Amino acid sequence: MKITSNNFIPAAREALADQDMRRSVNQATTTAYQKRKNLMFEFGIEHGEALRQQAQVRRRALSRLPDLLGLAETRMIENGIHVLWANDSSEVNQDVLEIINRHSVKTVVKSKSMVSEEVGLNDALQDHGIEVMETDLGEYIIQLADETPSHIVTPVIHKSLASIRDLFISELDMPPTDDAVQMARFARQILREKFLAADMGITGGNFIIAETGTLCLVTNEGNGRMVTSLPRLHVAIVGIEKVIESLEDYATLTQVLPRSATGQAMPVYTHMYSGPRKAGEDDGPDELYVILVDNGRSEIFATKYAQVLTCIRCGACMNACPVYRSTGGHAYGWVYPGPVGAVITPLLNGLDNAKPLPFASSLCGACKEVCPVDIDLPQMLLDLRDDLVRAGMDEKMWLWAMRLWQFGNVSPGIFELGGKVARSLTGEKPPEHLPGPLAGWTKYRNFPPFAKKSFRQQWKERRGN
Amino acid sequence: MVTSREEILNRLRSVQPEVGDFEVTNDYLPVAPRMDRSPQGLLDLFVEVAQNLSCKVYLPANQSQAIQVILELLDDEQRLLSWDFENIPLPGLAEILSEHGIEISSGRDASVKVGLTGADAALAATGSLVLLTGKGKPRLVSLLPPVHIAVITRQQIIPDLESLMTEFREKKPDVFQQNSSIMIISGPSRTADIAMQLILGMHGPRELHIIILT
Repeated sequence: MKITSNNFIPAAREALADQDMRRSVNQATTTAYQKRKNLMFEFGIEHGEALRQQAQVRRRALSRLPDLLGLAETRMIENGIHVLWANDSSEVNQDVLEIINRHSVKTVVKSKSMVSEEVGLNDALQDHGIEVMETDLGEYIIQLADETPSHIVTPVIHKSLASIRDLFISELDMPPTDDAVQMARFARQILREKFLAADMGITGGNFIIAETGTLCLVTNEGNGRMVTSLPRLHVAIVGIEKVIESLEDYATLTQVLPRSATGQAMPVYTHMYSGPRKAGEDDGPDELYVILVDNGRSEIFATKYAQVLTCIRCGACMNACPVYRSTGGHAYGWVYPGPVGAVITPLLNGLDNAKPLPFASSLCGACKEVCPVDIDLPQMLLDLRDDLVRAGMDEKMWLWAMRLWQFGNVSPGIFELGGKVARSLTGEKPPEHLPGPLAGWTKYRNFPPFAKKSFRQQWKERRGN
Repeated sequence: MVTSREEILNRLRSVQPEVGDFEVTNDYLPVAPRMDRSPQGLLDLFVEVAQNLSCKVYLPANQSQAIQVILELLDDEQRLLSWDFENIPLPGLAEILSEHGIEISSGRDASVKVGLTGADAALAATGSLVLLTGKGKPRLVSLLPPVHIAVITRQQIIPDLESLMTEFREKKPDVFQQNSSIMIISGPSRTADIAMQLILGMHGPRELHIIILT
């Protein structure tokens, strides 16, 4: 997918002016945030926090990643799964196209996969004349609107009911209705035909259990089941970091994930796949391929940001983030928005392609607080800012502003003088808005008057009494 | 030639990653603790949670009442997608259905309104059904029709997903070789993608009826 993250500031400004979008995003994130809280702390705050600690089995798994990948591969092959490895986007797309050619595939139905967005799979397949249909309702709407997802769990979080209705009417000739149920039924009919006719199903993967060679998914709508049950081929595209150690780790993680993502104790469908259809089974794919995708992950693995690879893609950090809540996901300019997106977008695409993102945060810490695997996102955002400065890619204006600050703060005399100058310049009633380069600070809030006397002055007077 | 596999693994092996501290023991805390694990306690919890997930739960007094529930749910439907009857704990069901002129359809017929399955286990904490695919237990029966009826026995109800994993490890170590897929179903198919409105029956069934034999 094309990256436009350097355009964050203008894009965010535009998003802030879109009241319809902001209302949808605000309502949805607030609801999801509350539901997460209710479910994570269903058995008390201590228990919820202990679960977050237990979910750090992701860190243990990551510390053994190459060995676990080897074991997962061995077990999957024993189970009859074809395992492929892809260094980057073009290798993933190449692998899928080869499978398509080998099996004469004409139509593909997809369940939601963020990695496939990352590598631009849909475009690659469509360029080769393959029909690709997204089947998660949200992703289907995105595909119809020719947009990109704006949230990793709820991809159309930015769209109101009315805009989806208008889209269905204009693109699909839906009989006019304002009833969301009717709209969903209408989409169900169309997609049902696609499921039944498709040659290949493509999914992502939430976890791979190394010790058993099992591919795990979570879905709610049932489209994930359709694409893994009806077509004769199933291809799963999974990041190399998704491998976990044991059945016990799985039991924890696959329950913490929905609690954190949507506030459900379990998703409607918790899938475990250990291979293609066995002899004597009536349905299921004839062949199952798992493509293990690196696409920059091994490079992150070698940096101080390795911990971000334990992310289980629940989206809780987006729902909690005051920046994401205000701007929505598109402003971030790539596949992964919100706090975790602000960290992995520069890491996967190069810092110079996502310079504003480490600053798209108030460092309030809400993302870390809700993260089910306790990734230290605020620290990583700070570290990325540090990297930007060291690489000479920071905004030079900041450098001068900080130098000025330093100048005024190293000596008490200069500090005092600065205060006097500021008080005499602004007088009793300071201007509500500051001029020049300082205007940004007072664009959305008034500049407060200075105190009549400085702290130092007051201190002196009181000590004198 | 160096394969992508070797390139990726070599890159990963060349470093010791900084993953941060972790205090993990193998003494796992259950995700949903504090439940009455007596048979009655598990039954009560399963019923309560499943109902909260919009399932309809039935506790018939005997097998003929259970069959009656199925016939009523079928209403005027003459066709049924079904698991093989040996996998549904209701002896005599096949004969009674055929006496009522109900025909068992097969495979991918998406026009059939009702699907009938058993289950391999049920999880009390999350109101879930566990379905292992295998011979005579097609995946599509619990997926294509808008109405799914599952028949289970109360002995099949175990506490939670953790206990299912323990059971696999201790009693069924070959479960992943024998079954191509394990599906854990918690309520009818749903979506909230349109303006966060909960809608049941997105792609899968919109009704899930669970008949528990006591």
